[in-house]
Amino acid sequence: MNFRTVLATVGGIVPASMIAVVVFLTTYAWPAIEYNGVGFLGGMHWNLGNLYADPIDLSGVQILPGASYGIFFLIVGTLLTTLIALLIAVPVGVGAAIFLAEAVPPGPRVWLSFLVELLAAIPSVVFGLWGYAAIVPLMAQHVFPAMAHALGWLPGFGEPIGSGFGLLTSGIVLSLMIVPLIAATLRDAIDSQPAAVREAAQALGATRFETVWRVLLPGLRSVLIGACVLATGRALGETMAVLMVSGNALNTLPQTIYAPVSTMAAFIASQLDSALQDPTGLAVRSLAEVALVLCIISIIVNVCARLLLAGFGARERRGL
Amino acid sequence: MGSWRTARWSKFAVSGALALGLAGAHGAAAAESGRLLETGSSLLYPLFNIWVPVYTKSHAAVQISTQSTGSGTGISESVSGLAQIGASDAYLSNALEKQHPEMLNIPLAISSQMVNYNLPGLNAQHLKLSGPVLAGIYEGKITKWNDPAIAKLNPAVNLPADTIVPVHRTDGSGDTFIFSQYLSDTAPDWAKTIAYGTTISWPSVQGGLGAEGNQGMVNSVKQTPYSIAYIGISFKGATDQDQLGEAMLENRAGKFVLPTDQTVQAAANSMVAKTPKDERISLIFAPGADSYPIINYEYAIIKSKQADVQTAQDLKTFLDWALRGTGGNAASFMQQVSFVPLPASVRKLSNAQIAKING
Repeated sequence: MNFRTVLATVGGIVPASMIAVVVFLTTYAWPAIEYNGVGFLGGMHWNLGNLYADPIDLSGVQILPGASYGIFFLIVGTLLTTLIALLIAVPVGVGAAIFLAEAVPPGPRVWLSFLVELLAAIPSVVFGLWGYAAIVPLMAQHVFPAMAHALGWLPGFGEPIGSGFGLLTSGIVLSLMIVPLIAATLRDAIDSQPAAVREAAQALGATRFETVWRVLLPGLRSVLIGACVLATGRALGETMAVLMVSGNALNTLPQTIYAPVSTMAAFIASQLDSALQDPTGLAVRSLAEVALVLCIISIIVNVCARLLLAGFGARERRGL
Repeated sequence: MGSWRTARWSKFAVSGALALGLAGAHGAAAAESGRLLETGSSLLYPLFNIWVPVYTKSHAAVQISTQSTGSGTGISESVSGLAQIGASDAYLSNALEKQHPEMLNIPLAISSQMVNYNLPGLNAQHLKLSGPVLAGIYEGKITKWNDPAIAKLNPAVNLPADTIVPVHRTDGSGDTFIFSQYLSDTAPDWAKTIAYGTTISWPSVQGGLGAEGNQGMVNSVKQTPYSIAYIGISFKGATDQDQLGEAMLENRAGKFVLPTDQTVQAAANSMVAKTPKDERISLIFAPGADSYPIINYEYAIIKSKQADVQTAQDLKTFLDWALRGTGGNAASFMQQVSFVPLPASVRKLSNAQIAKING
């Protein structure tokens, strides 16, 4: 075996395992995919059926009476929590990156940056526990009533304010988890811009903020998009933290921003043991189908980001 | 060169075989002699936690680990062999029993379930609630605390006009099983549309919450005003400490009762004679003027064919101890969790099932 073959094998393990995961999920979930059909994505009702009744035969498939699997509320919950997390994390992350790169003197810069990066090292279950113990009561008792009072005229921001477990709380906890990804990556990129560009901008009379905002950042579009995609991927798949603060809604869409939701990742984690109670095995396979849908959504997000980056790259080459 | 290659491959083969052997041994690691894993019902968990230290004092060679994961997990881990004792408030369904005929459902004690609520200012009073009213609340048909159906049962109480927040279990739960059995037995439309199980399709109620484990239910009710939840009796200490309200439930005779030793014993007395040999029976909605409607056997779901002889022996010794009036079923243990000890006739049936465990 020569060096090239060994390198190819080891290097090939990564894409091969990704393909293997998707193929495994598809084959394992195939009976559920066949049974559920397209209605799976649009169906509003996740129902394991009557666990204590005898399975019936529906055109060759053994199912429990009343079983039907629809995950529309999960898709909505996942996308909404990720959207809220990004809406909070991107401005905060970009602001933090600019602040760390430009406004902080070199002394404190090192340990402040270290603290921001350390936020990414905190395990998600710790975020979940902190969210459960500290954020949820804070939201329920102080923040949500104030928001409903001030913003109640906006659709989706009014009463009822619920118990603190819900969409906005999950979005806030998620945003804290993805801010370091954006801030650290962008700060490194701003730092690594050549001094000549900075000096040229300042020679033309730009203020410090204008230098960053109009000259440095536009050149870092691709880095920002890359960081946001990473952040989106993390937010889409986040399980434990969301499980503990989202309220675990079943079969309902959130009517207000304070209402409980359920995300796909948290749902799989919390429903696996219940699904194992199904003697026909269809419930576990449907959960595998949920995992497959999550996988596909992540892939789509990444592909879109790649296309965006390619688009920007083409514009840069054309000199725009 | 050839002999060097052969030597290298044989080394690979030996280490590969060793690894496989270790992996195989590790698969049965939980069943190593002297180690038992109990997992499952959060309702039975407090009792196991007071049993294990006392048992290991007199049986030092056995290590018992306990986990509170929900009856659904208890059942599935016992079926798969990951745990030796699957604690569950729910017996196996007919379909699961048919798929896994080697599983035994062994009652260890009789427990009950409370319905708790958090009404600011009213928690000291015991509200009267019936099965149909609870079904209406969890279906989303009864949305306010001062609904006529609740007011009719509680004419002397000044009920608030706030929205009810029903809390249910999100994990596979024996508490869900017995609560939904009560609703199925008392409300025909619930029986037809939702029925009962460790996991059921909870109707969507705006603002309804999900919680994990009995402790999660206690926390949810404590933190959420105007909420209502079904909580196992072994958490009565916690609900009393948090000053949560406890409801009086309507029994089959039409009377409203609290879960006390007397009412649970009365319900048990009227149902135990009907217990079959495999001990899979619902004790819900028992007849009798004093009977409490939500009582159940606390089951240890055990695989009759254990991994090895030593594990089977350790298991049988522990279960024998747990069933004895001088051992686990002693009043000192039962009182701490508000359970009722097994009657003699059921103990005999349980002992007969324990005899079937072998290694």
